[in-house]
Amino acid sequence: MANKRVPLNRVVLWLLLTGWLIFALGPYIWMLLTSFKTSSDLFAMPVRYLPTKWSLDAYRDLIGSTPFLRFMKNSMIVAACTTVLTLLLAVPAGFTLSRHHYRGKPVILSLLISSQFFPTILLVLALFPIMKSTGLIQNLFGLVIVYTAFVTPFTIWLIKGFFDNIPKEVDEAAKIDGCNEIRMIWHVLLPVIVPGIVAAAAYIVIYSWNEFLFAVTFASSAETHTVPVGLKTFIGDYVMRWDLLTGGGVTAAVPILVFFMIIQRRLISGLTSGAVKS
Amino acid sequence: MNEPLTVHVKAGEKKRKRTGLSKYLYLLPAALLIVGVIGYPIVRALILSLYAYNPLNSGKTFVGLKNYVGVLSDSTFLKAMSNTAIWVVGCVFFQVVFGLLGAVLLNQNFRGRGVIRGLTLIPWATPSVLAAMMWMWILDGNYGLLNDILMRIGLIVHPIPWISQTGTAMASLMLIDVWQGIPYFAVMLLAAMQTIPGDLLEAAKLDGAGAWKAFWKVVFPLMLPTLMITTILRIVWTASYMDLMMVVTQGGPAYSTLTIPLASYYRAYTDLKYGEATAMAGIQALLLLIVVVLYLRLMSNKGALDNGK
Amino acid sequence: MQAKTIAKRFIGKSKTLLSLLTVASLLAACSTATEEGSSAGPSENAKKTVVNYWYWLDDASNNTMEQLIQKFNESHADIEVVGRMIPFSDYQQMLINSVSTNDPPDVARFKDWWIGQFAESHLLEKLDDYASKWEYKNDIDDVFWNTGRTADPNSPIYMMPHQFITFYLYYRKDLFEQANLKPPTTFDEFLHAAKTLTDPSKQQYGFAYRGGSGGQDQWYAFMLAGGARMVDENGSVVINNAKAVEVNQWYIDLFKKHKVTPPTAVSDGFAQLTAGFQAGTTAMMAHHVGSYETLHKALGDKLGVVPMPQADPSHPATMGTMTGNVMFQSSKNKEAAWEFLSWLSSPEATDMLSQSTNGQLPVLNTLTSKPEYTSKNDGWKISIESLKFAHVWPPFKGVGTIAGHTWKDNNDLALFGKITSKEMLDQIAKTLLE
Repeated sequence: MANKRVPLNRVVLWLLLTGWLIFALGPYIWMLLTSFKTSSDLFAMPVRYLPTKWSLDAYRDLIGSTPFLRFMKNSMIVAACTTVLTLLLAVPAGFTLSRHHYRGKPVILSLLISSQFFPTILLVLALFPIMKSTGLIQNLFGLVIVYTAFVTPFTIWLIKGFFDNIPKEVDEAAKIDGCNEIRMIWHVLLPVIVPGIVAAAAYIVIYSWNEFLFAVTFASSAETHTVPVGLKTFIGDYVMRWDLLTGGGVTAAVPILVFFMIIQRRLISGLTSGAVKS
Repeated sequence: MNEPLTVHVKAGEKKRKRTGLSKYLYLLPAALLIVGVIGYPIVRALILSLYAYNPLNSGKTFVGLKNYVGVLSDSTFLKAMSNTAIWVVGCVFFQVVFGLLGAVLLNQNFRGRGVIRGLTLIPWATPSVLAAMMWMWILDGNYGLLNDILMRIGLIVHPIPWISQTGTAMASLMLIDVWQGIPYFAVMLLAAMQTIPGDLLEAAKLDGAGAWKAFWKVVFPLMLPTLMITTILRIVWTASYMDLMMVVTQGGPAYSTLTIPLASYYRAYTDLKYGEATAMAGIQALLLLIVVVLYLRLMSNKGALDNGK
Repeated sequence: MQAKTIAKRFIGKSKTLLSLLTVASLLAACSTATEEGSSAGPSENAKKTVVNYWYWLDDASNNTMEQLIQKFNESHADIEVVGRMIPFSDYQQMLINSVSTNDPPDVARFKDWWIGQFAESHLLEKLDDYASKWEYKNDIDDVFWNTGRTADPNSPIYMMPHQFITFYLYYRKDLFEQANLKPPTTFDEFLHAAKTLTDPSKQQYGFAYRGGSGGQDQWYAFMLAGGARMVDENGSVVINNAKAVEVNQWYIDLFKKHKVTPPTAVSDGFAQLTAGFQAGTTAMMAHHVGSYETLHKALGDKLGVVPMPQADPSHPATMGTMTGNVMFQSSKNKEAAWEFLSWLSSPEATDMLSQSTNGQLPVLNTLTSKPEYTSKNDGWKISIESLKFAHVWPPFKGVGTIAGHTWKDNNDLALFGKITSKEMLDQIAKTLLE
């Protein structure tokens, strides 16, 4: 495992990491500080970095007078369901495209990509009647279906690529052991591509977490608002609730951060190298 | 560890033929869903591009290719086309470069690695509207944070109106998109590094190659398929991504950030010329198709498209 | 057989993965089930007539609209109003989608800008017959009823007047005092004050020019105050006549020639405008009561309000916008829909909304004459005084397009000197009639 890392000078490593962290977190730090400010501090000149008076009003309003926690719950449900459903569809598809022979495979693969060519905003009008006739409107399940359809093509590609990296001898060995194909995927191949599955899951979760257009179109009642739609309601025509927007942004980042910290371990998996070495 | 495994395995070839029709069952559910939810609306939209259609009226008139001709002879749309090209190339290039660097960094051993990995990924999970609003504030030309910091350091004397001048508006939007997009590449490439059999590196090391050389010669080529697919999809997504323009610049100043999807959105929803809007989207899809086909050809030449070939 | 051992090894490890996946799918299954359960709410009251109502909110943390809907439902045993809140930025697009897929709401909150587009396609219910029987019909002045008509002289009423705003001028009292200036009443005084209060080296600018999204309202307010009109008495478009070109040039020059606006003017939207004004980087800003609470909270006594400065104070004019409610023609429950629509504009409901942070000026005379409105604060006082000379956008079909992007596109070009004032106005005149 260790030999796979390119050793870097520690100083350079930390310099780069620090730079990256400042860039990545800068807006969030500003968001966090802003969420504690009172309105007279918001736009003081010269720029006031720290609040003169630390206030929790933004969070009190956010939780007390907006349904933000429900937005978060909705987003989590949609993200979790979409992830499970997409993986159930994309793992078999990725496997078959990696291992079986298809005539015109490049065509199938490019069709998958071409599903992403169109600006989604122009698909809404045609999608709406389908969603309505199948009863998938105004509930979160409809969102899960649409999201799954949109994330599956890339997930298939990704997982196919990870299957491609597994030497064919592993398949052969499993078959000699008497595994059928499904058992082989489940017990032998999947564990090897755990990092790939985790990366795909991260992509799916984040897509579902950030998606706005379908959410506002197909699930736009206060009951089914997700986080992005909820955040956008804080930007009114005549009122701009910076406190709710920043407070909401910070709050919404917490579950995502926890999610990342849980999965990052799995993203780096010693399985492959360790096992193949035996 | 005497016989390193390689990916160039021919042994499986014969058995592959045997699977027959059952292999389609693996693909079918995913294919049905994609066709139903994405394929059908795309076809519908493309058909609409041949009509004059106001979404508020129920009637539509067949006009053939008139929408395409009209759109292509509109100088604003041509501007949008070149803006889109600049936008896509700029965003994706920097994301790939920094994403690759990020993946290498996150793969190192260092204290607090778990937390830092989580933190660096956060921009990716930021809803567009939030990212747009916060960056708009940071980049503001009067009370913005970036100008304040640059002035305090002494790099500039007067604040720069980043998003308010034609020369810097597009670059500002790219900055936001790159901010959001680096973690995507970092995660995908980090994952790709992990599934590379370790003994390949061992083999490279036995040959006496240095670590960096081993990375470029052995690890990088194996990451290439993932890199290429993540890149091509990012190109496609970036071309259609207009949330930032909608919030930050509305395509301005003076059309400098107007891209094809934004132009088609305006055409559809404020001008109520839906047929022309879908024609714009159709042109964009055609251009992307050309890019993707060229790209896939490149990929299959490099053997990235199909295992073992 | 090296690879064989590999295979065996994995069989053991995969159990963890298996259980993880099982837990995940169970969780997922549960949550979808709960969601479906809760969305079954309205159907329990199958006997009630359901009225779907769409609206947006200016302040999402204020639930007055929800309270209103609840109050209506409690007092009307046979009607169930189901409200759906949509972010303002996506509101018009959602309405268009709903119409084109034959699924519009029964009643919807609506801006006067959109009436031209929607009425032309015969989507909105004519309200004249309903309104003539309404008990508060005469409590609302004709000018307000007219905001619900199209440009056609015989147009019926399509929108119930509800909440109105008129543009006035905010100024920073502290900055004006320091510079020994009086708040402006004329264009000349305005320009003088703006010049005096501009000092780029201190990042100080006289006027917060809104060149970003939504800037057309502020622009129109200045055009009107300068003496330009969109249409003349005969109904022909005159927004590109000599007078209008002159006023527009004056307005553009605030940025281009006099440079009394922040250099960011071309992209400044509502968020930047209020932020800059709060920061004191700008000393004057044109807006309306919609932002009064926010600014007052941040600035307190430093906040001043005066009517729009005028080119000719003897013939004052400013801009107004009506936010009303419409009924869609496709509604299957028109009686119930009218019941709700008219109730929203009743004194009781209007009062509740106007007093909240989501409210603007009421249009019922019984309310506007009340001291709690006229002397609520400077913003309200001046807004109500400005009602007499407020003009709304002319109800042409093209207004939606102008508000959507035509104004912004052409204003950008004019500010950068790429087109002339006349060329900009020609574009707007053309779009207006399209």
